Amino acid sequence: MDTTPENSSLTSSATGQSEPVGSGVESSASSLLSLRDITKSFGAVQALRHVDLDIPAGQVTALIGDNGAGKSTLIKTISGIWAPTSGTMYWQGQGVQVHTPRDASHLGIATVYQDLALCDNLDVVQNMYLGRESTRAGLLDEITMELATTQTLKDLAVTSVKSVRQVVGSLSGGQRQAVAVARAVMRESKLVILDEPTAALGVTQTAQVLELIRTLSSKGIAVLLISHNLNDVFSVADRIAVMYLGTLVHHGPIANYDRNSAVEMITTGKSDRVPSSLASSN
Amino acid sequence: MSTVETPVAPSDDAPPLSQLRRLAAFATSQQAILFLVLVAVMCFFDFQNARFFGTSEFGNLIVDFSTAILIAVAEMYVITSGGIDLSVGSTIAFSGVIGAYAMQFLENHHFGEFGSLLVGTIACAGVGALVGLINALLITKARLVPFVATLVTLSMGEGLALVFSKGGTVGYDPGAAVWSATGFWVFTWLSVIVLVITAISGIVLHFTRYGRYNFAIGSNPFAARAAGINVNLHVASVYVLSGVLAGLNGMIWYFQSSGGAPQNGIGLELEAIAAVVIGGVSLTGGVGRFSGIILGVAILTVVHDGLTFINVATTWNEVVVAAFIALAAVLQSLGSGARKRT
Ligand SMILES: Nc1ncnc2c1ncn2[C@@H]1O[C@H](COP(=O)(O)OP(=O)(O)OP(=O)(O)O)[C@@H](O)[C@H]1O
Ligand SMILES: [Mg+2]
Repeated sequence: MDTTPENSSLTSSATGQSEPVGSGVESSASSLLSLRDITKSFGAVQALRHVDLDIPAGQVTALIGDNGAGKSTLIKTISGIWAPTSGTMYWQGQGVQVHTPRDASHLGIATVYQDLALCDNLDVVQNMYLGRESTRAGLLDEITMELATTQTLKDLAVTSVKSVRQVVGSLSGGQRQAVAVARAVMRESKLVILDEPTAALGVTQTAQVLELIRTLSSKGIAVLLISHNLNDVFSVADRIAVMYLGTLVHHGPIANYDRNSAVEMITTGKSDRVPSSLASSN
Repeated sequence: MSTVETPVAPSDDAPPLSQLRRLAAFATSQQAILFLVLVAVMCFFDFQNARFFGTSEFGNLIVDFSTAILIAVAEMYVITSGGIDLSVGSTIAFSGVIGAYAMQFLENHHFGEFGSLLVGTIACAGVGALVGLINALLITKARLVPFVATLVTLSMGEGLALVFSKGGTVGYDPGAAVWSATGFWVFTWLSVIVLVITAISGIVLHFTRYGRYNFAIGSNPFAARAAGINVNLHVASVYVLSGVLAGLNGMIWYFQSSGGAPQNGIGLELEAIAAVVIGGVSLTGGVGRFSGIILGVAILTVVHDGLTFINVATTWNEVVVAAFIALAAVLQSLGSGARKRT
């Protein structure tokens, strides 16, 4: 959670004033992923309105907002589940088009969805490797995949899964969550997106996931964390972004926020307590 | 990461136990029960008539198995991917008729028996691929549910087979029947080809990415897409594959009936689906073992031939098949119930 020295190249954005939203700048050079004016409509429903967001490498950005604010819609847009209705994405300063999940994963984006998106009828190994199976002479290399899965789970201290050949449908909610997170982590990604990863977890497992998030960011991996739990947010996040009714109303370093102002922004979309002129126009 | 430190695997440095575990799982699985049922049924018929296991009857069993297996394989692929293909039966008729015209044309132009059979086979597979492509487009582009889409092509295939054949057998070809009966020991060459195709299909389903994606899509298409799988392309390919297998099956019927007849294969989609269900494949997709449908088709074939062999009126056939479907379905629901409880 701390802003460590190796992040110092990013600290201009990490510790400076919060940036105004919707200022129309090109992608900021220091950020891994920049969203500019992203809009997404489902028929008449406008789920995202002119969203601008910068996600720096090596930091944990918490995306908060009330139910239905558009958080999951935003991360599904980033992950290529659907294309935005309009707007631009910059990846390491380059404009990119992400039309499919495969595009996103080629960029180095790994996502754990709120509904987890695992195949219940497949076992843990099969889920961990889905879409990137190891093969030998065209045939699946089950031994290698099984060993690597076992090792990954061990590295992440996921100890409750008895057998990696269990079908995922037979796991508990927390175990499924752990598998989904492990799956994202295993892909050597540059940006890991977690949609409410601790929602189904007990105290111990929540602590483990938070520790895992810190480990990722210390390795230079960017994390975008959606959570309703402000304890989690304030214990791991370096930056906060707040969504309100499809608009990204505020974002900046965690130091600029406290619990009260965060709650205020989640519920009303603005706060008087936060520095600078941010609760802006839209 | 402090706290709980029990190892993930039963033992830290033991080699993967997947093979052993699979063996253990097999022993308690539906497949094991099916295998016992198959043995029991064969023993029953042998007891009724001691010649049932004789070489010639065994040869008949293999021929009949070969005639039934390809559309069951097709159905296996489609059903595990979360769909259903009702058009395989009528594709047998349609492709057989078109293939027969192609072969008749070539023979009239002195193309030679082997050459024209080869082209006929390709024509049958091509017609099947075309039907499969129509299914694929209806499902992935027009967004019809597979049941409706393949009901459309079921009727289309039946209708076109009748129109093109004018209701009769096309290209009467007794030579084909003679050729199809050649072989060695209990095998005909034709059944050897079919068994090789079947074996390859089984390997692809369980040991390649293509097969893995098939189960993943049948299990959770959203998750499959999120994992980077091109779901629409895969689903389309499965229906084309199903069509090709049905088309090849049409060629086998051409051999069996010495020509392309519009009634060949009609209604057999239900027999194929029955074999798949008996084999323990879930109709909701994502679950099934290839060995299950081998056993399913084998049981239905033995029952079918056995009843004929002991001179029970073939009308009883359907009743016995129904009993097997019921048995399999009950086993399946008991099995999944047991899994949920643990
Ligand atoms: N596929 C869809 N089709 C139509 N509307 C959708 C779709 N997905 C989301 N929406 C709408 O977009 C809005 C934002 O939903 P979203 O799931 O992004 O909220 P969220 O911030 O993730 O909420 P929660 O905290 O409850 O998960 C909601 O009004 C929802 O109804
Ligand atoms: Mg959500």
